[in-house]
Parts: sequence; structure tokens; C-alpha cells
Amino acid sequence: MDPRPVSPTVAAPTERDILIVGCGFAGLGMGMRLLRSGRTDFLVLERADDVGGTWRDNHYPGIACDVPSHLYSFSFRPNPDWTRVFSPGGEIQQYLRDCAREEGLLPYIRFGTPMQDARWDEASQRWTVTTPHGLFVSRVLIACPGHLADAHQPDIEGLAGFTGEVFHSARWRHDVPLQGKRIGVVGSGASAIQIVPEMAKVARELVVFQRSAPYIIPRPDRSFSAAERRLYRRDPSAITRARSEIFWGGEHNFIQRRNVPRFVAEAKAMALGHLSAQVPEGPLREALTPRYEIGCKRVLISNEYYPALQHPNVTLEPSALARLDGTEAVAASGRRHAIDVLVCATGFEATRPPFARLIHGRDGQSLDAHWSTGMLAHDSIAVHGYPNLFIINGPNTGLGHNSVVYIIEAQVDYILGALAHAQAHDIAVLEADAQAQDRYMQALDARAQGSVWLAGGCRSWYVDERSQRLTLVWPGYAYAFRDANARFHPDTYLQTPAAAPAHNEETA
Amino acid sequence: MPPPERHPRRSASLLVEGADVRYHVAGDSRPGQPPLVLVHGTTGSTDSHYGYLFPMLAFERQVISVDLAPPPGEAPLTLEQLVRQVEAAIEAAAPGQPVDLCGYSLGAVVAARLAAGQPQRVRALVLVAGWMRTDGHQRLRNRIWRELREAGAESLRSFMMFCAFSAGFIAARTEPELTEMARRITLDAFVDRQMALNAGIDISAQAPAIRATTLVVGCTHDQMVPPEHARLLFAAIDDARYTQIDAGHAVVFERPSELLCQIGRFLDAPHAHAAGSVIAAEQP
Repeated sequence: MDPRPVSPTVAAPTERDILIVGCGFAGLGMGMRLLRSGRTDFLVLERADDVGGTWRDNHYPGIACDVPSHLYSFSFRPNPDWTRVFSPGGEIQQYLRDCAREEGLLPYIRFGTPMQDARWDEASQRWTVTTPHGLFVSRVLIACPGHLADAHQPDIEGLAGFTGEVFHSARWRHDVPLQGKRIGVVGSGASAIQIVPEMAKVARELVVFQRSAPYIIPRPDRSFSAAERRLYRRDPSAITRARSEIFWGGEHNFIQRRNVPRFVAEAKAMALGHLSAQVPEGPLREALTPRYEIGCKRVLISNEYYPALQHPNVTLEPSALARLDGTEAVAASGRRHAIDVLVCATGFEATRPPFARLIHGRDGQSLDAHWSTGMLAHDSIAVHGYPNLFIINGPNTGLGHNSVVYIIEAQVDYILGALAHAQAHDIAVLEADAQAQDRYMQALDARAQGSVWLAGGCRSWYVDERSQRLTLVWPGYAYAFRDANARFHPDTYLQTPAAAPAHNEETA
Repeated sequence: MPPPERHPRRSASLLVEGADVRYHVAGDSRPGQPPLVLVHGTTGSTDSHYGYLFPMLAFERQVISVDLAPPPGEAPLTLEQLVRQVEAAIEAAAPGQPVDLCGYSLGAVVAARLAAGQPQRVRALVLVAGWMRTDGHQRLRNRIWRELREAGAESLRSFMMFCAFSAGFIAARTEPELTEMARRITLDAFVDRQMALNAGIDISAQAPAIRATTLVVGCTHDQMVPPEHARLLFAAIDDARYTQIDAGHAVVFERPSELLCQIGRFLDAPHAHAAGSVIAAEQP
């Protein structure tokens, strides 16, 4: 997809009723639903040159989704053509491109236009967004940053003097030759376990630096037959049934995260059984046995990772990467590994998302500063002091057990409800009430107590290190998120009426 | 709200007409929220039929679950005996209080019969995969079951799974999983007496006396209590609403998360759907 030519920079800011920032699943879902609801007075600002968010950025060898595709897609845009239960990343990226094009959203997207700064102006009751291509002004700002948007690149001692190539898994360098090379992979999370089997096929030697062993369960993947795919096309109700089956199966597993002992034990037995079935007793199995409760970190799904670690050319280094030294990577254990290419599968900035540094509310404070003890939001979507701002995929919206697209759709419904409310009642400004926000956060914190995320004895990106609060994930069933947060709650907002004549302010 | 820790469960026993009835209590009572009483079905217990639901429901409310028990002797089991066991457990765990009541399968029959007889005691009633009157289709299955049982047939457990679970659920399981599921089925003299009771259920005269705000849950692929039975219960009870879950009779194993969702929503706001409503399934 070619980037749309951006308009030449002009002095006058571009004004729209609504600005959406980002066009991954969240921004695309929001934009498509705006169009479907008849709203056209909006723009989508996208820093890159294509839609897709994390599925555009992550194109490393082996990338695939960990949620079955019939659920990991928009409910209002089912796709009969998924080739597998768990689609490869490229198929998901193509799906998102098709969504944007077929829904007529592309003309509304300004590619290559990163938000550099966003400020609420109290006098004009508008957001001003600064970009390299000029200013954009809107009444409503919808931030769609994504949980897995900004690569976490660790500071590695000795990086400057390292003779090999280094890149992050979400910035894959397809120009770097890998065949016959000595490759290091840093990390053993969701990206790493997909990358490692691919690297094992091409590397002369492969070293995997593992800080802590993940729990891995079997991946019930398979390709769909031609008949199955045509069934999904001929009888769309088959997709509806498949979605329900996957959804409630995912919901079933929340009981493990909620830390109900019998189900935690069952999950653990399944994961450790998978390990025992694939790795014989000995030092490798020992090193691959997790030392925390299952579910505390993301549970991974792979049939290929454990076998790959047993290839003769593969070494598991059961300690973190400590530093680089010329041609060698030095592990925390002190062992040295000669490396030509180092892949940092080190995850993403999750608890302190960089977008929060760019958004400034009524008193000029950035969201990042406002969130100095961790992310928080009313109804997981709005922040007191940040009027007319909605965040999709913000605080406490991730899931450890089900499809985040379902959460995104609930949040889109909420925003559409807020927009409709403002329009119906001539409201210019909606701002989350501080006390309502406190009540919401207290209830959330109470819900999170005792969950495996907090009580499971691990360090994860679900928990903010500064406050030890669970800020990333929703500590409940996905359906409970929709019950709580798919409908706008006007009584928990400060509402400023539009100045007369109001009808000029509103979108037709 | 106190932190929902791994909540301990208290258990107690009481003798009801010589039967050793156990019940389990978990969760904190909430203002304006009566305790929820759970009644399991044939071959079941708190730990099997409510293994998933009991601990999860207890995060939101106080839950009392009754393990039905065989009365002494060999006399045929009666519905009234089981009703009195549940009444005694309620009186022991929540003396004098109104309760919410949820029954599954034969437990739904027990719960409906109890609610009909004690309209002042039951605020909200949930009937999952229940029925009013055993029909010829159910008697045929019951007879096959009895003949296999009396013959000591190896295939009895397989037959029970075949009846209890939906085709899709069974097809998605591995052979070892199916073997393990079959191994866990309880077969004993009490089950025999429950099956004999199941062959002749008829509460059609009492069901219209139910005054409780009621949710009836049918299971789309139920071959033991086909959903037409649940729909008839829905029609017989004045203040009833109906929803259906895409599962076999063994919904408590196949789709407990969806059942939990429906039960929780209903108990939080029993009147959210008017009497006579058919509640659409959640579409993810």
C-alpha cells in the first residue's frame, strides 16, 4: 500500500471534529465504526506508511497470532478465508489492509504523520496535535496506541563496540543474512518462541538467552480444509458459532488467572506435561521449568519451541544477556557466546507507553507525568484532567486469556455512545469525574488482588514496577469488561454544554 | 470490597431423614444480595457439577452448595426427599433468610419443586437443563441406561458421555481426554436410585405455582433434556425469562464460562429482562 500523499504544510491547522491517532486494530475499528455510524468529520493520524499497527511492525520469521483468527478479527467483518486456526501475521496484516480499503477508510488516514505533541486548550475546548506535517485541531481525541507498539530495546553494555548486527524482533532486518551465521536471541517470551524455531533452521549456531523460563502449552493449530473455508463462506453462521466456541473456551481459562487452585493446577499440569513430553529429563528440562505460578506471565503456545532447543546447533543459555564484548555476547552466568547477529526479542514498552509523554491535559501535565505511579483511567478509557480524550487499549484493557479485539470493540461502542450523548445533549466537553475514576480504580484494584498476576511470584509487564499495581490487564472475564465498559456512563462525567449556537459545533 | 483472596470454603454435614447431607459455603454475603444455593444433578456433586461455578460465583456473592445424599434403605428415591435435603441445608446455612436458588438437571427439578412449595423463600431461581415431565424420549434413554447398567456393560460410561456431551465437544477431544472423562463418571447405588427417579418426573402441576423471578437455561445440543423441556418450563412459570447455550446437557463442563456469565448477569439484575423474554446469547 502506498502512503497517501500528505497535503503540503500550510499555516492553517487542519480541523476535524475527531482525530484518531494510530491505525492498528483499535484505530481501524474506531474509524470503520465512525463511518458506519455516518460520521465523516474525522481523520486518522498514523506515524507509519501502512495500516496494521503491531501486525505491520512485526514481520519476523515465524510470526503468528496466539488467538484463533476467527475470534481475533472484527465481529462486523468476519473472514471466511483464514487459512489456519492461528493465522500467520502476514494474513492478519492483509486482513487489516482489506478492512481499511473495503470500508472506505483509507482517504481518512494521514500516513507518515506521527503525533509529536497533543495539548488541550481550555479556551477553545479543542485538542491541538502537532505533527511534522502541521497542526491538527479537533474537539475529540481518540488515542489508539496499542499494547505492543513501541519496541523495548534494552540498554546493552558494550553495544557500541559489538562487531555483529543487532536488531529488535519488531524491527526485523530482512537485509541481514542469517544462513550459516551465529545467531543470538535475547528473551524467551511470545516473540522469541516463534523466532527461535525459524532461526534454528538457518543458523550455524543459535544461542537463546533466557532470563526466566516461560510456561508453554500445546498449540492446537491446523490449516482449514477447502471445504471448511467454503462452509464459512456459504454459511456465515458457522463463523458465528466458531467465534462463540473460541470465545467461551478462552473465557473458561480466566479461572486460572483468578487463581482458583484446582484450575491453576490443571493448567500447570498441562504445561509441564507438554514440557515432559517434548524434553527428556535432564539439565535442559530443568532449565526450562518455570519457577513461578502459571499465568503470572503470559502463557505461551508452541509445539516447535522445545524441539528447536534440542537441535544440535542450538544452546539454551539459562541466564540473561549481561553485555556485549566485541564479537561475543556475555551472559549473566559469565559464559561467553560468539555471535554474528543478535535478535532482541525483548518485548514492548507496556507499563509506561511512550504516547503518554506526548499528551498534555488541561493543566499542561503529560499523561506520563500524571501516571507517575502507573496508568489509570476511568472505565479504562478516559482520564480526569484530559477532557474529550478517549484511549483505546489503555490502562487495564489487556487480557491474559482471550482476544483483545473483543475489548477494542467494547471500547469503540463506549466512544460511539459518548459521541451520541454529546450530540443529543449539546455537550461540548466530556471529562471523567475524578471521584468516579477513583471508585473505578479502587474496584479494579480490589478485583486484581489474589490473581496470579499479583500473587504468582513473577515479574511481568502486566504489573507497574513503581506501584506494584496491575495496570496492563483487565482482571476479569472479557464479557465482564463488555458488561462494565461497553456503554458510556454519562453520570460519571463532567459535562460542559456547548456555547450557543450549539448546532455549529456539532457534526451533522 | 474486601480483597477476594483464595477464599476458604466451609463445609458441614447434617442428617436429613437419615441421609448424610453435606453442604459447602464460600464467599462473603453482600447487602441486598441473598445467598445463592446450588443443587447439582444426577451423578453429580458440588465438586463435579459445580467445580467451575462454585468458586467463581463465590467471588461475587455468598454461595451455598448442597451435596444430595442417599436416604437409608432401598426404597425408591422421591423428589420430595431431595427437596427436604435442600430445605434443611438452606435452613442450616441461612436460617430464616430468603435465598437465590440454582439447580442443574435433576437439581433443577428439585429447585423448581422447592420454589413452588416455598414461594416466600426463593427470590431468584435459575433452572439449568431442567424439565417438568419425563417424556418417552427420555424414558427410552433411561431404559437403555438401566439395561446396560444391569448387564454390567463396559459401554455404559461411553453411552453416558455420548448422551451428556454435544457432538462438537466430543469431536474436539483426544482419546486420552475422553477416557479420563469416562473414568470420572460416578456409578453407584445412589446414581441407580436417581436414574429411577428421573424416569418418572412430573412437576407440571406444581411449576405454575413458582413465584420467584426465574431464569430458565436450555442447552441447544442437549440429548438428555432436549431444550424443548426447558422452553416448556419457561412457559409454565409466570415470571420467567429464557436463554439458550450452545452446549450439550453437560453444559457445566462444556461452557461453564457462558453459564457463569448468564447466571451472574441474572442475579445482579433479575428484572433486567421482562418476564417472558428470550435473552439472546452473547455474540463475541
